[in-house]
Amino acid sequence: MSENVLTVVTELENKFGKALLEKAVDTRKLVKIVVEVDSLVAVARFLRDNYGLDHVKAVTGVDLSRLLKKEDKIEVIYHLGSYTRPELATADIALSTKLDRKSPRMPSLMDVWPSVEFHEREVYEMFGVVFEGHPDLRRLLLPEYWNDIPPMLKDYEPPGR
Amino acid sequence: MYPQTRTFFPGYIKTGIFGYRFADSKNIVSMVEENEVPPRKVDETIARYGVEKVHRVETPRGVEYFLYRFRNFRLIRYLLNWGRMASLFPAHITTACCSVEFAATHSPRYDPERFGWLPATGSLRQSDVLVVEGTVTSKMAQRLRLVYDQMPEPKWVMAMGACAISGGLYAKDSYNVIQGIDDILPVDVYVPGCPPNPSTFFQAILLLREKILYGRVA
Repeated sequence: MSENVLTVVTELENKFGKALLEKAVDTRKLVKIVVEVDSLVAVARFLRDNYGLDHVKAVTGVDLSRLLKKEDKIEVIYHLGSYTRPELATADIALSTKLDRKSPRMPSLMDVWPSVEFHEREVYEMFGVVFEGHPDLRRLLLPEYWNDIPPMLKDYEPPGR
Repeated sequence: MYPQTRTFFPGYIKTGIFGYRFADSKNIVSMVEENEVPPRKVDETIARYGVEKVHRVETPRGVEYFLYRFRNFRLIRYLLNWGRMASLFPAHITTACCSVEFAATHSPRYDPERFGWLPATGSLRQSDVLVVEGTVTSKMAQRLRLVYDQMPEPKWVMAMGACAISGGLYAKDSYNVIQGIDDILPVDVYVPGCPPNPSTFFQAILLLREKILYGRVA
């Protein structure tokens, strides 16, 4: 299984050499590929068409501003999965991109994987990331009267008591 | 706001939620009604959660004032309270795991029906006690208040578990969990624990009975 995953990474490096910013490879199951925002859709299409990564398990957001490196960025991670290739079923392939924290905007991956619709809505409400091209970008779970900044940002102060 | 009257059994003073101590028999001791303690941060709660009305003690006037005084004659009040204490219809609103312990309290091992605590099977319109089990989010807060407003007077509220008392695991850090339901409801008995033991809840039932028996009639 790990060989399959590693071939994915090497082929990606060959094809999108400059767009690949970082990669983290765990020999057992985890692969994370950080990609530039502009080439994200192309990489996603490439992964879907050539490697059978046909759905997105989850979309995660991370506010990196208070972590060790203190980057002023928001990372959006797509955890990819495969139904068609059983050997990739247990692998966790993460496609991620880093956005500016002031005005986080990125293209939506709805055209590539339709299953990201609600995940992207949740990232939008929790981190304020605007997904361009998303057909229905509304808040998902927060109450209607919410008027504060997105609650998962590190700047957010909970009301407390 | 009413003239202080001596309680029916002036030997008791309530010092805390679960603490009782005997006062000196020489001193005249009047009970502190927890209902008359104003809920904390009412205006902020209304502004934040959009709750229409928060608990407010209304002053009876005219004929109603004399009826109030009549109902609070010691013997009449005692009989009224005794009747109310001995048949409590609970309604429970379950939002978390405390309901498991709530159900276990009704098992034959504890059997609170001995003390008039009936199984929570009726509708809200027949219920006397509202037991709030578990975490209440800000969206749920409006619904909880709606549930409370549907119950007829007299009614009592029990906050069960750490989440309902103070936010519990979600205290201070949460963007959507209200920090204790006493922001929106007047709570009579707090049941500590995460979740509380059935015996703890049983003690709370007994405490509520005492509170009803020795309290004022509204």
